[in-house]
Amino acid sequence: MEIASFLEFLQSDATQRTLLAETREHLIMIALPILGALVVGIALGIAAHRFRFLRGSILNMVSWFLTIPSLAFFALLIPIVGIGNTAPMTALFFYALLPIVRNTVAGLTSVDQAVVESAKGMGMGRVKRLLQIELPNAWPVILAGARVATLLLIGIAAIAAVVGGDGLGQSIYRGINRIPAGGSLEAILSGTLMIVVLAVLIDLIYLGIGRLTIPRGLRD
Amino acid sequence: MTDTMIELEKLTKRYPGTEIPAVEDLTMGIPRGEIVVFVGPSGCGKTTSLKMINRIIEPTSGHIILDGEDVTKSDPDKLRRRIGYVIQQIGLFPHRRIGDNVATVPNLLGWDRDRTNERVNELLEIVGLDPEMYRDRYPKELSGGQRQRVGVARALAADPPVLLMDEPFGAIDPITRTRLQNEFLRLQQELQKTIVFVTHDIDEAIKMGDRIAILQERSIPAQFATPEEILTQPANQFVEDFVGSGATLKRLKLTRIRDIEIITDCLTGSVDEDARTLRDRLAASEWTGMLLLDEQKRPLRWLRAPDLDQGRSLREAGLPAKAFVEPHATLSDALEEMLLGSAGVSIVVDKHGVYQGIVDVDTIIITIQEMRDASAEFYRTAKLVDPAEVAG
Ligand SMILES: Nc1ncnc2c1ncn2[C@@H]1O[C@H](COP(=O)(O)OP(=O)(O)OP(=O)(O)O)[C@@H](O)[C@H]1O
Ligand SMILES: [Mg+2]
Repeated sequence: MEIASFLEFLQSDATQRTLLAETREHLIMIALPILGALVVGIALGIAAHRFRFLRGSILNMVSWFLTIPSLAFFALLIPIVGIGNTAPMTALFFYALLPIVRNTVAGLTSVDQAVVESAKGMGMGRVKRLLQIELPNAWPVILAGARVATLLLIGIAAIAAVVGGDGLGQSIYRGINRIPAGGSLEAILSGTLMIVVLAVLIDLIYLGIGRLTIPRGLRD
Repeated sequence: MTDTMIELEKLTKRYPGTEIPAVEDLTMGIPRGEIVVFVGPSGCGKTTSLKMINRIIEPTSGHIILDGEDVTKSDPDKLRRRIGYVIQQIGLFPHRRIGDNVATVPNLLGWDRDRTNERVNELLEIVGLDPEMYRDRYPKELSGGQRQRVGVARALAADPPVLLMDEPFGAIDPITRTRLQNEFLRLQQELQKTIVFVTHDIDEAIKMGDRIAILQERSIPAQFATPEEILTQPANQFVEDFVGSGATLKRLKLTRIRDIEIITDCLTGSVDEDARTLRDRLAASEWTGMLLLDEQKRPLRWLRAPDLDQGRSLREAGLPAKAFVEPHATLSDALEEMLLGSAGVSIVVDKHGVYQGIVDVDTIIITIQEMRDASAEFYRTAKLVDPAEVAG
């Protein structure tokens, strides 16, 4: 494959339309699992932080999810949730939990004990302390976990195409199926390239979210 | 209203999994409006005792009576809003601005915004921070000393009658620490809070305390008394060892010049007079030198007879007058100035620099002697009285 032919391929209207549509699908496929994992993951993280005896089990459980090979995970879910995007999205949700839970625990643990104690000493109740003091101070670390989770999902989501899911995986999967026919490498490469571009984009978005949500007093 | 603000009754704390209690049967009355200092060696249970008062640490047994009310089992959050709390690590909220940090308790109490803002500004000014400049900063944008001031302001926000302070000036350089201590004492003169103050530094205890509780292991009080008594009449060997040598020197830090009799009949002269008049006056007196004052009665020079014979301008004759102390200075300050000064005495001036009198070594020695006799006398009579009556 020549560089020139790849550039030509990228410039064609049809390719661009496909890539754009697939990028949109890709984003949609990871958005819901990430949002769900944020809510559930932070809750699990808080529980793991608060209740020492739960910490080991919670962290182990979310680690196990990540050891299941993605293709197998997707396939195993099909009998339960059916074919299409639901199976991969469900699996992605479970994959996203580990970084979020682990960083929530780490973030809460890293909050200066003196800060928590002085809040307590001023008569701040348990819930207020968690919401107004501990979570805001743990937020930079939690957000870093969410970022890692999102980047992780961008990669794994590409495999969804194998089980009939949408997204940039389709370009790659289509290419693989056509090897060694002409244009197969171009298809694989264009899908991969868009995934990298998406990852960079997501990184920038997280940078922006950090700027907006991390108080100046916690930035360095 | 009783005279005792906080009553600790047989407070005991046994940490889970430990044999020996960290605090055992601590019984003590903290008088209203006074600073009581807990001092003792590391690990003796000072922090544990302090934190049981606002129940950051729940006592295993015993009672805490706050202003006549048993608060051992009451709602801890409500209790804590009535008690200011300052710790060595300060614990400012790093994600909140200074103003919001100070407003913590008012917000918890549901004050309206105007009242809270007004109070925040007032408090920042009280602790010597310009509200305009500091209110909107974040804790990390302040120096250690400034943070500690904010910590104090935050603890005072809702005007609690009681303050608990655990080594509040412990992590600060010595110069800033001295300044914060002095500022805090001045503040306390106005506020008249009931304060429990923990330190492991006996000098700080003597300086800050109206009363000092010297604690041994398990927080058992070795002596609970005024700094003067502790220095002059240590109750036992433990106290003596803990106070260490130099107890007398420490007492000098307790006594202020305004409380002793200074020498006021020292021979003085004025720049308005001529040298001959001064020389005659000096010759007629039993003094070997005289103090020359300017038109506003501020000390200028020390003059001896030969200095007056040289026909030089009076303002340049003799030696410059140095070693000035103000009435609120301690005898320790006066002694130090004396050693540094030229004439072997300290000159007492008011805040405008106007001459009041002098202090010499004899003044100090006599004062020490008197303090000794007086407290020995006090101690003898105190022993004859029923202890319950003294405590009551
Ligand atoms: N959470 C805890 N669990 C078990 N033991 C503890 C705990 N906290 C303190 N202790 C023990 O209780 C004793 C008293 O501790 P405390 O912190 O009250 O001492 P302290 O007088 O404040 O000492 P320092 O001057 O070093 O601050 C010590 O022997 C300490 O080891
Ligand atoms: Mg301590």
